[in-house]
Amino acid sequence: MLAYRFDVFASIVFQCIVMFATSFFWKALYSNSDTVMGVGVQEMLTYTIISALMSIFLTTKVEDRVIESVRQGSVAMDMMKPINLFGIYFAEDLGYLTSLLFQNAIPIIVIGSLFITIPRPASWYHFLAFLGSFLMSFFINWFLSAIFAMWAFSILNMNPLVQAKRHIIRLLSGSIVPIWFFPSWLAKILNCLPFVYIYQLPLDLYIGKGTPASMLPRLAIQFAWLMILAAAFAILQKRVLRKVMVQGG
Amino acid sequence: MIATIQHYWRVTIVNIRIHLLTILEYPASIAGWALSNPIQFVVGFATIQFVVARFGTINGWGYEQLAFLYGIAVISHALSMIFFVQGWFMGYYVIEGDFDRYLLRPMSVLYQFFFNNFNIIGITDLIPGICVFTYGCVKVGFHWSILAVFELLALIIGATLIRGGIYMMLGTLSFWTKSTNEFSGFTQEFFDKTTMYPLTMYPRALQFILTFLIPIAWVSFYPAGAMLHMDGGAPALDVSFFGAMPFVTLGIGIVVMVVASLFFKVGLRGYESAGH
Repeated sequence: MLAYRFDVFASIVFQCIVMFATSFFWKALYSNSDTVMGVGVQEMLTYTIISALMSIFLTTKVEDRVIESVRQGSVAMDMMKPINLFGIYFAEDLGYLTSLLFQNAIPIIVIGSLFITIPRPASWYHFLAFLGSFLMSFFINWFLSAIFAMWAFSILNMNPLVQAKRHIIRLLSGSIVPIWFFPSWLAKILNCLPFVYIYQLPLDLYIGKGTPASMLPRLAIQFAWLMILAAAFAILQKRVLRKVMVQGG
Repeated sequence: MIATIQHYWRVTIVNIRIHLLTILEYPASIAGWALSNPIQFVVGFATIQFVVARFGTINGWGYEQLAFLYGIAVISHALSMIFFVQGWFMGYYVIEGDFDRYLLRPMSVLYQFFFNNFNIIGITDLIPGICVFTYGCVKVGFHWSILAVFELLALIIGATLIRGGIYMMLGTLSFWTKSTNEFSGFTQEFFDKTTMYPLTMYPRALQFILTFLIPIAWVSFYPAGAMLHMDGGAPALDVSFFGAMPFVTLGIGIVVMVVASLFFKVGLRGYESAGH
């Protein structure tokens, strides 16, 4: 009992620490300028809180789950069940997210609103656009994770690769530092990769950075990435499962 | 006494050899970490540099000084990963009853806990750390002298001990919570946030805590600030009465380690083994 409770509180406390640290970082940077790149400190603080909130919903367990069950061989048991293997993992992730909603998301938003700033969206339209875009982000993120997880069927030690992927998403998706602060050549490259469509685009929509006209093409690219990753997932899934069955036979 | 030290030394050498052989069995794993860890720190610093360059400075620290600070933070992180990473996973040792074996052997439990597992992979953190640090030294035009070398050595050793001691204290909590306390990711995040940025960006109360209660500020901020003669910007706590900063870091590192060891000994008394 004590053990589990301790883990839950520790994770909330530490997530808050990260959120507060990032907000102090922005406050210090903005201490002698009002707006930089068209964004003020208030928007940046909102950005920080919403990003922390999004990171909770973008937690995926599918990689660790596959790595563990391949290593322990329990993947065979999962495959014997008369439902889609990755369907099981997706359902598990959804269940886990539901628990995180109460355990972490609500405390984070309450603490963030009380002690940092109330994270108001630019308008109701922006908020709705954010929700739509975030739904796509969620699936882009999950498909990326699931595709990574499939490598675990053939690569023995996946942990470093999973870590590398997490670092890339953390640093190059705009989750902490928005990519508009990056040099423009790098921002251009990143705008072609799927990572910015996990954090940056929904966050831009939320704080109202950029005109609606400039957002539509970006939403289109986000949708394109979603389709590409979904297709890749569907194709790879068939191949991977066939391969496992051969091994099992 | 000398025989004991010789004995421990021989065991240490054997352990290092075994662990080198173990990791060499999995070259793909080394390659993976050699890719993943530099990404984390080199790209991590690059993002800070981009944003600070846009804003000019953060509390008087330009990206040049931040590279120096960041380098020290990563180097001490890497060394603490090589020698003290077990502190992060102590909970698993407690839950799974691994201390049973250590308790049965005629050697110090603390020694066995740390030196039965050399995490040589930590070198993949060290290399990007040295790269960013060198970049910072060049950018700030760091003046090298014999004293500076000694200062850096004292600082790095002290910083590693502070980190190791804190990991150990966090891990020791598992003896009471009987939980895995798996917050390795959070621990790193917390240290990253507090050692890679100027401490002055935090409120004074927090600066006080990080200076006197959880002495993380001594890992990089005070010694790096002193070596770069940083002043101005937002006022830091006045700790100048402590004198030569890098050597203070070494002293604090030793104190933290001793306290952590004592705490560990107390915790071990409450150890109940697995399956209780």
